[in-house]
Amino acid sequence: MTEIPWLFLLPSLLGAILAGFVCSSMGTFVVRMNLSSIGYCMSHAAFAGAAFGILFDIEPMLSAVLFAFATAFILGPLSEKAKLESNVIIGFLFSVMIALGFIFLYAEPGEAATGKALSILWGSLFSITYNDVLLLFVLAFALSLVIIIFYKELLSVLFHRKLAEASGINTKFFYSLVLFFTGFAVALSLKLVGGLLVFALIVNPTSTAYQFSYDFKKILLLSPLIGITSCLVGFWVSYLVDFPVGASIVIVSAVFFAVALIFSPKRRRKRLFHKEKMNGVSDLT
Amino acid sequence: MTQGSDLIHLDHIDTIYEGERIPVIRDISLQVKLGEFIALIGPNGAGKTTLLETINGLLPFTNGVGTVFGKNIQTHAHSIRKNIGYVIQNFELDPLAPFLCKDIVMAGRSGTIGLFRFPSKKDWEIVWESMAFVGMIDYANRPIGKLSGGEFQKILLARALAQRPKILLLDEPLSNLDVSARRQMETILNHVFDTSDISILMVSHDLQYIPSNCTRIIVLDKGHIVLDDAPESVLETESINRIFHKEQVS
Repeated sequence: MTEIPWLFLLPSLLGAILAGFVCSSMGTFVVRMNLSSIGYCMSHAAFAGAAFGILFDIEPMLSAVLFAFATAFILGPLSEKAKLESNVIIGFLFSVMIALGFIFLYAEPGEAATGKALSILWGSLFSITYNDVLLLFVLAFALSLVIIIFYKELLSVLFHRKLAEASGINTKFFYSLVLFFTGFAVALSLKLVGGLLVFALIVNPTSTAYQFSYDFKKILLLSPLIGITSCLVGFWVSYLVDFPVGASIVIVSAVFFAVALIFSPKRRRKRLFHKEKMNGVSDLT
Repeated sequence: MTQGSDLIHLDHIDTIYEGERIPVIRDISLQVKLGEFIALIGPNGAGKTTLLETINGLLPFTNGVGTVFGKNIQTHAHSIRKNIGYVIQNFELDPLAPFLCKDIVMAGRSGTIGLFRFPSKKDWEIVWESMAFVGMIDYANRPIGKLSGGEFQKILLARALAQRPKILLLDEPLSNLDVSARRQMETILNHVFDTSDISILMVSHDLQYIPSNCTRIIVLDKGHIVLDDAPESVLETESINRIFHKEQVS
């Protein structure tokens, strides 16, 4: 292990904390809305964006982030307009983005260009700058505000969209808001975790939190805590044994999830229920 | 709104689902006054749910004129809905769903409270009252996914009541319940009607599921209103047996 001054690591460390917070906070909504595959879509949009940047001499990371934002912008309205399941639209955009990525790379052949575009899909410990940290901080602050201010509307939409609409809530707006913030969270976390693995940072901490409570408010607090812890532990592991940072974070969050599955009080009751059902006891309550 | 004035006024309404050619409900003209308890009955596919969702603006109508509380449904759907409680047909819910009953009932008030406002102490009092009204106050902190069908239906009703609605639209609230749960629900609905200044439209596909306090029965068949009268008159007509007998045979 090479000794690196902590001051040098500070932006990456802060970036890890903030990326863990925004991704896993959005995860609480994305998982409940069955939009988990949005991470794939955004990461491939970023890949296409990076390839576009290389082709037209634009900073690849900037164009990657812009492509991810653009995808987040059109995903909600497109899914509303087409009256199709969001996962169908996500699948459609995913394939379009990967095709665009390959077309852009085809137009700018060379191993260096391909390597540069693909690096968007990995992520790097030292690529985070103070500007990225600032952007992530602004996003984390805005996201916290939105969740606090619109908590009752978001909960209502998550429970049942039609019922929420029937009680006078503009569900289209809140649905698009979730997609939009998810796009931001993915785009700004790309540098650290990488496009391929950012998806896991959205899903794993939330899925872990879901194992411990039925109270959505508690899950909203627990999920970012698990996300931040996963990022910090993953970051430390990556620093310690020189693993890629994205992969380390994902492995840590996956371990948390596996442990949660084993010790989940929800599952324990479920197992007990099935056991008693087999023995002829039908009602636990 | 005084007793006798129209809460709902539909004039020659057609509703067509997107991508379809034939309207699900056709030429529907209907007036509902404050203080009416209407059972909307008809065989499966008659257009009962479509009619409810046309009234609260979830489905846009393609022909005719529709007003609720004197406001055009098409242009004022969001504000109209704040005063309409809707209990949706029983749906499957993930047993591990991360929602507590009290939060779901409070969610019913979200539209009424409005944007940029937090639930006040009074809002929570209304939630507790609604839960107590349906006999579910002890279930406030229970996970919604752990409830039985009857309990879940009561929470959905409490959710709609927490809106303090002027109109209550109920889509098959008594179906898929056992006899005891159905009787309890029927008693609660009669009690809601007796104690509130409200109009109720309740959908049922079974003649047996009509609460005793019902003041009017509307029979829908193939998207048309075929009967609209007092319960005793409707239930004695020959055509109602024909409509429902046909369904039983098929």
